[in-house]
Amino acid sequence: MGRVLNIDKPLEILRKGVDSKLETNLNACVKCSLCAESCMYYLAHKEPQYIPGAKAELVSSINRRYNTLSGRIAPALFNARELDGEMADKMVDMLFGSCTMCGRCVKHCSIGVDIPYIVRKGREMLAAMDMVPATLQSTVDAALNTGNNMAIPQEEFVDTIKWMEEDLIDEMGDQNARIPLDEYDKEIFYTLNPREPKFFPLSISAIAKIFYAAGESWTISSKYYDVTNYGFFNGNNQQAAQIAGYLYDEIHKLRGKKLVLGECGHGSRATRWEGPGYLKTEFDFETVTAVELLGSYIREGRIKLDKTLNNSKVTIHDPCNLVRNGGLYNQIRFVVKNAVSDFQEMNPYGEDNFCCGGGGGALAMSEYNERRIKIGEIKATQIARTGAKVVITPCHNCVDQLQQLNHTYKLGVKIMTLAEIVADALVINKQ
Amino acid sequence: MAKLEIEGRVFDVDGDGFLSDPSVWNEEVAALIAKSDGIDQLNEKHWAILKIIRDNFETHGNAPMIRKICQETGIKLREIYDLFPLGPARGACRVAGLPKPDGCV
Repeated sequence: MGRVLNIDKPLEILRKGVDSKLETNLNACVKCSLCAESCMYYLAHKEPQYIPGAKAELVSSINRRYNTLSGRIAPALFNARELDGEMADKMVDMLFGSCTMCGRCVKHCSIGVDIPYIVRKGREMLAAMDMVPATLQSTVDAALNTGNNMAIPQEEFVDTIKWMEEDLIDEMGDQNARIPLDEYDKEIFYTLNPREPKFFPLSISAIAKIFYAAGESWTISSKYYDVTNYGFFNGNNQQAAQIAGYLYDEIHKLRGKKLVLGECGHGSRATRWEGPGYLKTEFDFETVTAVELLGSYIREGRIKLDKTLNNSKVTIHDPCNLVRNGGLYNQIRFVVKNAVSDFQEMNPYGEDNFCCGGGGGALAMSEYNERRIKIGEIKATQIARTGAKVVITPCHNCVDQLQQLNHTYKLGVKIMTLAEIVADALVINKQ
Repeated sequence: MAKLEIEGRVFDVDGDGFLSDPSVWNEEVAALIAKSDGIDQLNEKHWAILKIIRDNFETHGNAPMIRKICQETGIKLREIYDLFPLGPARGACRVAGLPKPDGCV
């Protein structure tokens, strides 16, 4: 561990007066450990290092060492720790490898300490030392360099969309059942998770079918359609801003009126709530999630659903960034209850729901795969206990993790997005 | 780096179980990885899919789009998900010996 780290940049993040929210949270924990049982990593491993408060304490102890008189004079007495190689490695393991930033601990904290915020700041400190796990950085780099996190070339994206469009025209028997690319002045500028065109395009057909039924005016950019922003996870705000800027510039270029965020938890949060902060500008267009859009179609009667077309028992997995951290609890249920005839909540659910286990960039980080699958057993057990045959979740990242849990823990369920279950219930009056 | 042991053979893999060195891949290795995913016997359709993924990787250095797999094999999209229950990425690409694709897969 004898290597020399340049700690000026990470310590700047902690410097007094730079971030008052951080200072408050770093000094607030009363060490009650109520957060322990809220955390999937602690529940799965039962080791004190996984207690959320202990993860936050890593950053707090560095703060005390460099920013308090007592910590500078008598570090051992005040558990004030230096930011050396050993500490930095521990932070990588705990803040990148052992936290999905799901925020469940905040809800269980006796005084509401924003632990994921501290974790995120710890990640920023690591990013400032170029210590982001390679697999996570590679996903960010792909987005920076190509405009999408799977580095899909534009012509291959276009070919895929045309292929899906031909299918839709066939299915609807109508040449107007289109998936419009790069069209100007549309009401909706729609976005996707790159895993849809690359490997799982049925969700694109589903939303296109819904747009067709609703008579929507919409388009997708063939270059900047990626709703994800892994800059939200790697702790590099400059990179997060560059990625957020791609969508911001593109919707202006195509003069879209409303930015609709495809089914992606962190992407919705990083774009809608964090995006204006990254870009230091207000959005001059409306921004909504696909969840809210689908709800509005049902409420306004723009689409008609027959819930008897979905007869299997269905449960919802609430994506952390959309429900606990995004407030869409009612919206998701409104849509699902209009689209299925047999619905069963998980326990716990809603704001108290457990993460899928793949959040916070975990799904992209192979380094911590074993932990991800292990904590996922909690989610697998929740699903099994509902007796549901279908799990709905409006987040492609959750879908992938649940898919893997389904296989590993032999759940025998089907994992679907919200648009997919709605599309299956659509009643379309063909002309 | 991690180790994956299947029927006495040991492979160097990443944390997600994808081969660290794609060049050690051959048909026998494919059959072994498939077995570890619960696919006891690779049939003609599995092989057709694996061949296209492998060819694309050797030519372009990455996994092909699912469109290309469907169009070149003539296998329907939904059937591909049935053939590889872990999906095209964690399922088919891993059996084909590719590195794990970036992103939410």
